[in-house]
Amino acid sequence: MNEWMKKSPLEWEDYVYKEVTVVASENKEYKGWFLTADPVSANIVLVNFLEDGSLSVTGIMGHSVQTIDVVNEGDHRMREKLTHLFMSGDYKGHSP
Amino acid sequence: GSSELQESPMSEDSPETQEQRARATLRERYLRSLLAMVGRPVSFTLHQGVLVAAHFGATDLDVANFYVSKLQTPIGVQAEALLRCSDIISYTFRL
Repeated sequence: MNEWMKKSPLEWEDYVYKEVTVVASENKEYKGWFLTADPVSANIVLVNFLEDGSLSVTGIMGHSVQTIDVVNEGDHRMREKLTHLFMSGDYKGHSP
Repeated sequence: GSSELQESPMSEDSPETQEQRARATLRERYLRSLLAMVGRPVSFTLHQGVLVAAHFGATDLDVANFYVSKLQTPIGVQAEALLRCSDIISYTFRL
């Protein structure tokens, strides 16, 4: 079990709404807005807002997480966008 | 009065209560993200640089396996398959 999987839900929650870079197994690197970490599997969900108004969602398996770093603390606007994601059924796009 | 009670900061809750609340919020969000993925094409990065694409179907409670359909592998298309999460590094889909 790696360091990431040993963290508590409160420690995982610290990353929510922040932009992070995650280095996973085999030096795979991911960047995006931290939406959640599954408390069961420690899987991370990152979100990226693309220029065409669509959304890219990436899940990184908890067992493969090596390091995670915050690159942007985010702001109220981003927090608002992320809070409502997936809450109301179908995603209707966003204003880039 | 009751208004004072409602305004009491969350930090006054016990650490157990705070942790339980965090756990519930994180888990609900994760399950909702999985729901949003159902029926969509997903690309999976597996170990040793193997990339496969499939339509996501379901997972189990402990997220140990992903049940997928139309799995595109280097040796052909598998109508239905079970991907072990221990073989997966990451997955990506578009909304």
